[in-house]
Amino acid sequence: MTLQRPRRGNGGFVLACLLPALILFAVFMVLPTINVFRMSFYAWSGFSPDPRFVGLDNFTRLLDDDNVIRAFQNTVTLLVVVTIVTMSAGLFLAAIMTRQRLRGRNLLRFVLYIPNVLSVVVIAAIFSAVYDQENGLLNGVLRVIGPDTWQQVWLGDQKIVLYSVAIAMVWQSLGYYMVLYMSSMASIPEELYEATALDGASATRQFFDLTLPLIWQNLRTTLTFFIMSAVNLSFVLVRAMTGGGPDGSSEVLLSYMYKQAYTNSSYGYGMAIGVVIFAFSFLVSLLVSRATRREPLQF
Amino acid sequence: MKRPLVLAGAAITALALLAGCGGTDASDGKTTLSVAALEGGYGRDMYTQVIDAYKKSHPGVEVTLQISKSIEDEISPNMKAGRFPDVVVLGQGREAALTETLIKDRALEDLTPLLTTTVDGKPLGEKLTDGIVGNLNTNPYGDDKTFLMPMYYAPTGLFYNKGLLAAKGWTVPATWDEMFALGDKAKAEGIALFTYPTAGYLDSFFFALLADVGGESFYTDVMTYREGVWQTAQARQALDITTRLLSYAAPTTVGYANQQDFTKNQQSILDNKALFMPNGTWIVGEMADAPRADGFAWALTPLPAVTAGGNRYITTSVESVWIPGAAKNKDAAREFVAYLYSDEAAKIFAGSNAIQPLTGIAETLPAEQAEFYQVYTEPGVAALVGGFAGTPPVEGVDIKKTLFDTANSIISGDKTEDQWQAALHEASEKLRQAA
Repeated sequence: MTLQRPRRGNGGFVLACLLPALILFAVFMVLPTINVFRMSFYAWSGFSPDPRFVGLDNFTRLLDDDNVIRAFQNTVTLLVVVTIVTMSAGLFLAAIMTRQRLRGRNLLRFVLYIPNVLSVVVIAAIFSAVYDQENGLLNGVLRVIGPDTWQQVWLGDQKIVLYSVAIAMVWQSLGYYMVLYMSSMASIPEELYEATALDGASATRQFFDLTLPLIWQNLRTTLTFFIMSAVNLSFVLVRAMTGGGPDGSSEVLLSYMYKQAYTNSSYGYGMAIGVVIFAFSFLVSLLVSRATRREPLQF
Repeated sequence: MKRPLVLAGAAITALALLAGCGGTDASDGKTTLSVAALEGGYGRDMYTQVIDAYKKSHPGVEVTLQISKSIEDEISPNMKAGRFPDVVVLGQGREAALTETLIKDRALEDLTPLLTTTVDGKPLGEKLTDGIVGNLNTNPYGDDKTFLMPMYYAPTGLFYNKGLLAAKGWTVPATWDEMFALGDKAKAEGIALFTYPTAGYLDSFFFALLADVGGESFYTDVMTYREGVWQTAQARQALDITTRLLSYAAPTTVGYANQQDFTKNQQSILDNKALFMPNGTWIVGEMADAPRADGFAWALTPLPAVTAGGNRYITTSVESVWIPGAAKNKDAAREFVAYLYSDEAAKIFAGSNAIQPLTGIAETLPAEQAEFYQVYTEPGVAALVGGFAGTPPVEGVDIKKTLFDTANSIISGDKTEDQWQAALHEASEKLRQAA
């Protein structure tokens, strides 16, 4: 009797404490997500009281829509480019900052982290100044150091506009991942480095054979972040910087979904694109997680 | 004892969190009319003044005003939940396309009876300027039913610096041949013939050009997606002229044709780097604080004629007022909309440069505005109102984007005129089938 009652009491208390959060989670996360899936089977403008059930029509239309295919390609390109560049640059900088005892590294870390706290509108304004084709920072530097052919219309050339967006994404997120990697590298005991140095390992060898395996779990986690941010951040940056243009060449899946749902009065079709994004992100995260699974190393 | 307290506490917390989501309705016996308006270049004061004046003459009605530069974002969530404003002042052609969406949904109230309502002793229909009602802008389904009332109107066309033309001794081209000849002359002096802020601004250009090329009937055919209309010789001619004009575009145009940088394209007119750009009368206020070349003065011209002496059209941008079909106080809303066209209200609106399409209003305009409205009196020039006809939504098809945005790809050489024409044909056919 004395053993049972407090336990039941505890259960009720825990439930009561969780209840507000659970309700909020259900109302603002679970229900809307279910709604996205449900609405993808309807043709609905967003306002009329009578959505029309169309089954899988929205999804079959997706396959014929060249714009979806282009937006999908752009999303994947950004995902791959931004992940590879940010991850390798983040790791490189973190390794230098933790291992090399650079002078002024706190200042450097601060400077690299700043873009992460800036709002996207500010970033778009900064890059509008950097990419300006006439008196922008980038073309200004290229004018000084190289021939005229090096200068580009960064946001107007359909072949490079996506990479211009990618650079802004890398710039925005590099500091954040660098700090993440630095914190896990800092927790690796110094003795391990001393021991390997005595065995004659170079700094490069130490990085690949000691640092990387020991922060592997951290790397796996950040890979999932990369997938999320490539999908989400690309939308806000594309919207603020190019609006998907010129002529749709920098459109990503989320920005196309937004346009269809809110400006082309095809809410159901937009939600179908949303379902594709959901499935895609989920699948890629799962695959990446499976592919990078290793026995965790302890120190 | 404690457990019920804890549970009650948790329940209250949860309820308090959700309570913020609810709204309240005041009811004190008066009709409460909710008005939503876009805060455009004319500002918000004129609306509060008109509403104050209305409340004085209609003591039984309480009017609430919701006004914002992004009014769609503010009223859409409530509309999705079934709470519609009674009167909305918002035109077509906005990026959020709320008006277009409700047109496609057939969710607007029929306002045809309003035209026979007496305002200041005259039927409202007679107070309005000829031709402003009965086009696709007011009767979006192409029949004789009016769903959107024209609120303010302004001419759009090619804006240029008349100071520069006078200084160089150039005349405003009257035909496209003259236009391209001027383009070559200007090129020799390092000035581009043409630019646009973003490709979306080509709407005023294209609508006028289509009517110039094939007359108003052809224009209506294009706007109502007549079968094979984009494969006709007239359509090809319009695309030919445009493609040739785009070859004269300022090299910076595409790079700046986005939300962030479009004012830099507008600035190139002020800096005498480009000659003409499609725009509306709001450009004067929008660029009022921008630096400009010596002797700069804004001027507006219709598009050059296709043949010497041919008809020229001025695309007229018309803001609209409409009543959602799901509005609660439709009668009070109709009465309020009729009041917006009274002499009393028109005077308040004109004070903020918002010019309503009422007969005789042109004589009362201030000099700066009057000059722009002069284009309507030029010989052979006619007003053109409207836009693409409303159809049920077609997933993935946006003919405006296909028509305007492709200009970016034509300039950069990523698409050819043939591809443009084929894409337009495909989009138009899909919309026709949906209609």
